[in-house]
Amino acid sequence: MPIELTLNGEAITLDIDPRTPLLDVLRDRHGLTGAKAVCREGFCGACTVHIDGQAVPSCLRPIGLLQGCSIVTVEGLAPPGTLNRVQQAFIDHDVVQCGMCFPGMVMTLTDFLDREPTPTRDQIKAALVGNICRCTGYERIIDAVLSLQAEGVA
Amino acid sequence: MMAETGYGEITTPQTLADAVAAMAGGAVPIAGATWLLRAPLRHEVLPERLMSLRGLADLQVLTIGPRQALLGAMLTHDALAGALVGHPDLAGLATAAGASANPGIRRTATLGGNIGTRGFAASDLVPALLAADATVILATGQGLQSLPLAQHLAGRGDAGLIVRVEVARSPRRAAHARLPMRKAGDYPCAIVSVSADLSSGRIKDIRIAVGAVEATARRWTSLEERLTGTTLDPALAEAAARQLTGDFSARDAVDAPGWYRLSVLPVLLRRAFTQLEV
Ligand SMILES: Cc1cc2nc3c(=O)[nH]c(=O)nc-3n(C[C@H](O)[C@H](O)[C@H](O)COP(=O)(O)OP(=O)(O)OC[C@H]3O[C@@H](n4cnc5c(N)ncnc54)[C@H](O)[C@@H]3O)c2cc1C
Ligand code: FES
Ligand code: FES
Repeated sequence: MPIELTLNGEAITLDIDPRTPLLDVLRDRHGLTGAKAVCREGFCGACTVHIDGQAVPSCLRPIGLLQGCSIVTVEGLAPPGTLNRVQQAFIDHDVVQCGMCFPGMVMTLTDFLDREPTPTRDQIKAALVGNICRCTGYERIIDAVLSLQAEGVA
Repeated sequence: MMAETGYGEITTPQTLADAVAAMAGGAVPIAGATWLLRAPLRHEVLPERLMSLRGLADLQVLTIGPRQALLGAMLTHDALAGALVGHPDLAGLATAAGASANPGIRRTATLGGNIGTRGFAASDLVPALLAADATVILATGQGLQSLPLAQHLAGRGDAGLIVRVEVARSPRRAAHARLPMRKAGDYPCAIVSVSADLSSGRIKDIRIAVGAVEATARRWTSLEERLTGTTLDPALAEAAARQLTGDFSARDAVDAPGWYRLSVLPVLLRRAFTQLEV
């Protein structure tokens, strides 16, 4: 049965093996390579996207369970050529190193700040438990998130 | 990464009767998919015929009543953790649901999947539910059946579709302590869930459940007997636990050897008791 869903605001129909992970659909069929295939076991968070507004790993979501869902990837977070507030804060605070983890970090933190606009340092750390970064040591990421609050834009 | 098994199907039954019939015909339930989709990593074949549980309203129930809590199998860990806040007898389950895995997985993995996964020793919800005396309601060819969780675990997965879990409310207070290991993907290498009536100043009606140590979580009855009638004293409980760890045949696995699991159990018991003090 064809699977109908919305991807970055556009209605799409897929007729593929319903067990295919969403991550592979994004990368292989739609050229949306922001979500990274790293661990494929729900551990690293590099493949995080928003499904019906919730940040979840796309590597463990079979496409056949997403009938009628709305998917937003890092490519669809902000209008083309613009950045959302988390992306902008990462640039302003020179946070990104190799960048492998960052699309997932942005997706997780964007969802998190929508739910928790004035988080503490510890709450930000807890929110990032499922987003592994091998480069930064996390502290500057957390500083960047806290800066949004200080600037009153979170 | 897909297993080479041909083109699969995922059906979405809308009634329990259709779901039970589909299972009888060989369809495998798929809930959060966080275990099933990792089949290739375990060198297992992802089943070709899957049955989504999204269409079954009975599996979404969430009622925290004064006498009973009804928890639908499709509730995510995240939904459970949010719903159980503020109920001391369900605090162990709330901690288990809110501390398991990571936030993205907690938004996806379900109660039914946590109970229904065969060969998964480190489930957080199972020991918390054992300590809460939970009953599992299953849809089978003979209609709805209820089974104490421990009995269900003994034949895990063979007895039908998990519809919901029922927990009788009680004056007990509950707590959950776990030791996650990063090298095990943050799975806990040992878990202790406790529930006890402390209203008289002495421990009454205590249940202590241990997870991740043996292949299947179970109650630690010798320790329950030892601690019944004593006052709530985390150090004393730890000392008593240390004398009784020989009750377990702890499993050796990549995350931790059996001896290590046993050595941390008494410490986890102390931590759970400390939570009960609050
Ligand atoms: C990185 C990572 C870390 C994790 N850490 C933890 C942790 O610390 N603690 C913890 O408890 N869990 C943890 N988990 C989750 C756990 O390992 C399982 O993946 C999860 O419990 C499975 O739930 P699910 O809803 O995704 O089940 P699925 O993958 O959909 O199904 C799993 C099994 O249960 C069966 N099943 C599902 N629902 C039902 C039902 N209603 N009736 C009958 N059978 C059913 C399926 O047929 C299948 O055999 C972690 C997962 C990941 C990916
Ligand atoms: S690739 Fe999905 S969590 Fe790592
Ligand atoms: S910046 Fe390299 S993994 Fe995070």
